[in-house]
Order: sequence, then C-alpha cells, then structure tokens
Amino acid sequence: MSYELVVGLETHVELSTNTKIFCQCTTEFGGEPNSHCCPICLGMPGTLPKLNKKVVEYAVKAGLATNCKIRNLSKMDRKNYVYPDLPKAYQVTQFDKPICEDGYITLSSGKSIRINRIHIEEDAGKLIHERGDTYIDYNRGGVPLVEIVTDPDIRTVDEAVEYIEQLRLIMKYIGVSDVKMQEGSLRCDVNISVRKKGEEKFGTRTEIKNMNSVNFIAKAIAYEFERQVDILESGGEIHQETRRYDSDLNITESMRSKEDAEDYRYFREPDLVNIYVSEEEIKKYKAELPQLPHEKLNIFINEYGLPKDDAELLIKYKKVAEYYEEASKNLKNKKLASNYILGQIYRKFPTDSEKEEFNISIPPKYLNDLIQLVESRKINSSMASNALEKMLDSGKAVTEFISEKDMEGIDENTLRELCIKAVNENQKAVESYLGGKEKAFKSIIGYIMRETKGKADPIKATEIIKEIIGKI
Amino acid sequence: MVSKEEIIKIAKLSNLFLDENVMEEITEEMAKIVEFADAINTIVCDEDIEFDNINQIENAFNEDEVVESYSSDEVLRNREGGENGYFLVRRRV
Repeated sequence: MSYELVVGLETHVELSTNTKIFCQCTTEFGGEPNSHCCPICLGMPGTLPKLNKKVVEYAVKAGLATNCKIRNLSKMDRKNYVYPDLPKAYQVTQFDKPICEDGYITLSSGKSIRINRIHIEEDAGKLIHERGDTYIDYNRGGVPLVEIVTDPDIRTVDEAVEYIEQLRLIMKYIGVSDVKMQEGSLRCDVNISVRKKGEEKFGTRTEIKNMNSVNFIAKAIAYEFERQVDILESGGEIHQETRRYDSDLNITESMRSKEDAEDYRYFREPDLVNIYVSEEEIKKYKAELPQLPHEKLNIFINEYGLPKDDAELLIKYKKVAEYYEEASKNLKNKKLASNYILGQIYRKFPTDSEKEEFNISIPPKYLNDLIQLVESRKINSSMASNALEKMLDSGKAVTEFISEKDMEGIDENTLRELCIKAVNENQKAVESYLGGKEKAFKSIIGYIMRETKGKADPIKATEIIKEIIGKI
Repeated sequence: MVSKEEIIKIAKLSNLFLDENVMEEITEEMAKIVEFADAINTIVCDEDIEFDNINQIENAFNEDEVVESYSSDEVLRNREGGENGYFLVRRRV
C-alpha cells in the first residue's frame, strides 16, 4: 500500500528591527549575556510594554508579499506557559485575531501552498543546560518575530524545501529579516503525518520543533515519513507528540507526548492596546514593497532572455540580482552580463554566504562599461576577461587596464597582412581545415591573437582568413 | 480551599521566607483571594459584549529607536547563583 506525506510548516522569522518588540533594547545578535535587557523584557512586575511600530509595518509587509489579507483591527494575547526562557511565564503573541490571514506562496510547479495566518509575537530567552542546572541569557527575549503558518498542503520533501527557500527569499527581498538560519533568524516547526493514497482524512501528526537548517528539515521529514509508514504497516498507531531531530544519527526521537492537549489559557493582553492598520497604511506599505523574487525571475527570463537556470542562480541572492540589473542596463545582449557574473565573478565568491554578502570591489557601472566595449567590438572577450580579473583585484575601472590605443584594435589592412602571413605559416592547419577538421581553424586564429597580443578582432580575422582560404 | 502545605510550597518556589506564626493568617488571606477570583465563574453574561475594543484605544507605539539597556550589573544584581553574566535556574521540581 502506498502512502502519502502530509506536511504543514510553522516558520518563525525574526524581524530585523533595531529594537525589541515591547521595549527599546537593541535586537543586535550576540553581546555579553543579559546586556541587552531592561525591566520590560525581563518581565518585571509593574512594567508597561508598548508595541514597536516597525513590527506592525514589517508584519503587514510579510503578509502582503505572501498574498495575505490584512486585518485592520488586531490585538495581542497572552499564551501562558511556565518555562524559564520566558520570565513572565507567558508569551505575548496573537491568538484569534492574527494580523494577516489567507495567503499563499506558489511553487515552481504552479501549486500553491496556502498560508493560514501570520502573527506577531516575542521571542524567548536562550537557555543553556548544564549538569542539571539551567543558565539563562535574556538578550533574545523580546526580539520580534512573525510566525508564518501554512495549511497542511505540502506533499513531498522537495515541496517543503522549495516553500522554505521561497519564503526565505521573499522575507530577504522585502527587507523585514536577515533570515540567517545559522543565527536562528528563521526557524521551522514541522508537522508531519501520513495517510494512504486516495484517503481524505489526515493521519495523526507529529511535530518536530525548532529546525534551523533546510538540509536537516529535508532529512527529518524523509525519516519521519518512513518511521510513520513502518509503524502503520506493522499494525501500530502514531501518537501525537513533539519530536526532536538528531542530526548526528539522522533520526527523530520523542520529546514529549501531546496526549494531554496543551492548555495555554490564552487571553487578551491587557497591558497592550489594539492594533489598527488603516487601508491607507496598507496601500502605502504595498507601494513600498520591492520587486519580489518570482517577479524578478519572470523579467530575467522573459524580458532579458536569460535561461531559467541562470536567472534562478541570479535571483537566489538579492544583492547579486540587483547588481546584475544595474550591470546589464542598456546592453543589447543582457546574457553577457549574467555570463560574467555567474562565471568569472562567482568564482571570487565560492560560498553561499559570500554570494549573499556579495562584497564585490567594482560597482555595476564598471562591469557595464566593460561589456559595452565588448558589444561594440572595441575589445575582444579574452581582453575583457583579463581586464575584468584586474578590475576585480583592484576595484578600478576598465580604462585603467585598457588604453584607447588597445581599443582601436588593429586596422583592417594590417589585419589582412597578418592573416595572409598566418595562412602561409600554418599551411598544415589550413589543409586540415579544408579537409573538414573545423578545430584546425582555431590554431590559425590563435596565431593571430598571439601576434597581436590579443588586440585583433577574432571575428573580423575569421572573415578575412576564410576569404583568403577561399581564394587559394 | 488553600492548604497550608500549598502555601509552604509556593513560598519555597518563590524564595520567600514565611514565619510559622503568620502561616495561618496568610493561608486564610490566600483562600479569600482565590475565592474572590472564583467569583468570575458565577457571572452570567446575556449580552454579546465585544471585549476586543472595550477601551477604544488603539496604536500606542514605540518608535524603533534604541535606548540604552540596563547595565548587566543592575540586571543581575538580585540573582542567586549564576556565573559569567547568566541567570541560574536550579532544578526544583
């Protein structure tokens, strides 16, 4: 009997505001333990929290970018639970009136993953467990988050991975989060169940908490699918529970049972007033949204004429995509700019994080200038490539490495004389070429490029040589 | 009802010292507080009251501008145990 995977994701995205959600302590990552704290984020009695205006703006933007409806009037609630990562013994979050609802993200297959809701909440402190005791750093306590919850629409590991990557890219593009998974700015709770193919009723689900690596999420889902199918096939039943993924062993293991449904005793947060977002504000935030990754992708493919794979490699990193747009301005062949970026330039940025940061030494205008010279055939591609290497190393413009004289190239008479010489001195290659060996032609051109130190226009030289050979 | 044992347990968890001779009085006071809170269960509400906007106040916001946090010394002044700037929670239950 074949089974179907059913996955829903709850993604926590840390917002990149300057200050915490209910006080004005910095949200900066790291710092000495408990050095970014005040009585409000430490949950001292008698303090009065106030919502950070930017959090509302960022949450609305996250909703708009994922096709959500924005609720004009929303409020904050208390979710009660006793654990030392929250000094107040409750988390301030949104329960029945989340700020955004009913959105979706469309995958490359055309399938939409529905977003049930996006709500605002505060992050908890960091706990370090040692020898039975627990040490707490509240620097992260009160850092603003949005939690983005999907419906259980995901059916394969690939869909889960693509959804997370798309979501991550959208949040990065709209500038509401740095989405650094290694720093915990994007974390996923993964709900997994299985059911027999064709069945409508969902199976009992398990939840794997706090995953901050796409690779581990993929492995954990694959493992959990197999585990649940094995249990059902051997006549057992799945227990609703929270599980943890052990990346060393590539297994999931039970953390706690959910049989006694958690009762968080949600109620309205009485210390905070309602949040009202007007239609005008929503319109303003919408107008401020930049081009989203899938919109850029379409433009790169349909208007700039890039192959899909190349376009995907460019939009994967926001800074690279923006650099490419500038560098390819007014070019006849926009693919040329993409070739230089994906080839010679990417080699200087081998890792993902280096491409993400994209600290390139030359502004896009310099690359554009270089390519314009290639397009106008003032320099050939090998000269361009040499010059680009020097430009990247020094941060200087192309004119520093290629003179006006270089750009003049070789006049036609001189080139013609050289071509005659090349044909005379490479008789063997000429014969091989005339005998059908296309490759032999390259050695004749190579001779000319050597003689002219790369200044000759190989296309023009090819025309002349073919003309001469034709005359032989 | 609130028992004396519950008061002792809460006091222990809260790091509060309670003198034996006030124990009875405090137990009675705590019982009254809980009883008062229980009164909420007796409320009969016929009307459909919209509580969400009951105070008619909206949008009291902080600007997203950093204000200096408290110094670590101040933050950690009353902690018990702990080292290297961390709070410590000892296993109690």
